[in-house]
Amino acid sequence: MMLHYFLRRTFLIGFVFVALTVLAFSLSYLFPGDVLNNVSGLTNIAPEQQQALIQYYALDQSLLMQYLAYVNRILAGEWGLSFSSQQPVLAEIIAVFPATLELASYALILSFVLGIPLGLFAAVKADSFFGKLVSGITLVAYSIPIFWWALLLIMLFSLTLGLLPTAGRINVLFDIPTTTGFMLPDIWLSDIRYKSEATMDALRHLLLPAIVLATYPTTVMIRFTRDSMLAVLEQSYIKTARAKGLSRAQVLYHHGLRNALLPVIRQIGLQFSTLITLAMITEVIFSWPGIGQWLLDSIYQRNYPAIQGGLLVVSCLVIVVNMLTEILHTLFNPLARKA
Amino acid sequence: MKKFRLYFEEHNRGPLTQLWQQFQRQHAAVFGLVMFSFFLLLTLFAPLLSPHDPYLQNADLLLLAPSWSEQGLVQYPFGTDDLGRDLMSRLMKGATYTFGIALITVIGSLLMGLALGAMAGMSKGVKSSIFNHVLDLALTIPSLLLAIIIVAVLGPGLWNTTWAIMLALLPQFVHGIRNAIQDTLKQDYVAAYRLDGASNWQVLRYAVLPNIWEHLTVMATMALSTAILDVAALGFLGLGAQAPTSEWGVMIADALDLIYLAPWAIALPGILVFASVLSVNLVGDGLRTAMTKRREN
Repeated sequence: MMLHYFLRRTFLIGFVFVALTVLAFSLSYLFPGDVLNNVSGLTNIAPEQQQALIQYYALDQSLLMQYLAYVNRILAGEWGLSFSSQQPVLAEIIAVFPATLELASYALILSFVLGIPLGLFAAVKADSFFGKLVSGITLVAYSIPIFWWALLLIMLFSLTLGLLPTAGRINVLFDIPTTTGFMLPDIWLSDIRYKSEATMDALRHLLLPAIVLATYPTTVMIRFTRDSMLAVLEQSYIKTARAKGLSRAQVLYHHGLRNALLPVIRQIGLQFSTLITLAMITEVIFSWPGIGQWLLDSIYQRNYPAIQGGLLVVSCLVIVVNMLTEILHTLFNPLARKA
Repeated sequence: MKKFRLYFEEHNRGPLTQLWQQFQRQHAAVFGLVMFSFFLLLTLFAPLLSPHDPYLQNADLLLLAPSWSEQGLVQYPFGTDDLGRDLMSRLMKGATYTFGIALITVIGSLLMGLALGAMAGMSKGVKSSIFNHVLDLALTIPSLLLAIIIVAVLGPGLWNTTWAIMLALLPQFVHGIRNAIQDTLKQDYVAAYRLDGASNWQVLRYAVLPNIWEHLTVMATMALSTAILDVAALGFLGLGAQAPTSEWGVMIADALDLIYLAPWAIALPGILVFASVLSVNLVGDGLRTAMTKRREN
């Protein structure tokens, strides 16, 4: 049964990847400008080079052959050159992508740590003052436009109080050698003398963007945990467990929490693409050198090969996360294993 | 819960009346509805209501402070911007853009979703499975990335990004509508209707749709809040509405240079985006609660 499920999933993921590459491939034609420029990423092509390049990129052959050549190039790691810097797109993505992952994962962790307990609390004490307060705050935080929220926090903490920096990942005075691309592990792995100062500085830079980005997932987490907990608490097996003589805490942990968190796991996967959108906006506001800022710079500069590459990487990330949460959900929930 | 219901009892009313009764009891939701109506009125009648022309530049009154400060003028309640345009008129006109465009996207996306969701919900086997897979792909592309791609192909502009938002909202509509339809199809009254000889279309039109419209409304309000935030965010990033347009997100981006001089020019459009999204969310939550309660009774 499980094997069948995994086979189906693998087939599905293969289909999604094919569709994704078809979309990315067709963009070379859809984007304005010459196809050869869009495919290769070269801005100036000498007339004598042109024929060789057309041959190389298989542009004189049928669309199907062109597509296959494109997929081959993608798999070989040859993603074309960026229009603006004339550097390989893939190398640029590898340089900026960890920053996004780092920011998004801290925000997600923050939303777990805050969201799940608060959501449970709001469900168990639904009628008390604090339960209502949590629900009210959640509704407000859910409605706030993220860019405006970021600006408000910058105005308060950076411009008025001068407590936190407004831009970047770390003060430029610190020279951290890049090993993983993630700032905090990089600092710990490096052999510099001012490690603790650098860590503090990186954390200070991280604080505002992480809070801004975590706002939305935290509220979603609270709402979902609360709603699903309320639904679970209505079930008759909860009454049975109480009647059996289990204490309130035991019922909540063994019967409530485990069942209530199942839909929440699923929700992470579904909300992940929203999280990436929000991460991109956050990056622009805080000049966080991640893929969101890179992609928005690319659109301002009409840097088509970069947009194509960004589409592939970001969508793959979302697919992988979706897949993982779905598999986790199925592993934990036998009811979802219907073939 | 009562087991028996007698027909002369008061709560035996039409579904709409019952829904409204449950909705009315939630004060927050009614407050949201009032705000929502306010924004809707503003969207429709902003050109008639606004005191000045939102694009008229007045070189004598640059960066006028709001009327509650000492330097302000009562004719310009929220002051003017750096080109001497009346901020209040611009904010009112902005409702037409941010709120109005978001409404249009949701309606468009709902109609498309209804067509596709009905097709997916009524079909079985391979057809429905292919459908799901295509949708899964659409779900994986974040809305901002979709907007970036559409802007790259078509160029920036309010109407071009409308497509991106519509496409980004579409998968959730199709998924939701398909699930709702499939749940309804399992009901006994649908089976009875089929036994009467109803065709697929008749089942959909007379048995399914009347039973899922509540779901649709709740879905649409949830989508509307996303759409407003997206329109404003795209305007803010310079991908959607362009500079002279008084869309709220664009106004915030314009006022960024003046963050020290005129903080209210950033605060006010943001408050409006926030208030409109909040009103939509309040109405949506209220509807959802009212719907559950109505079904329970």
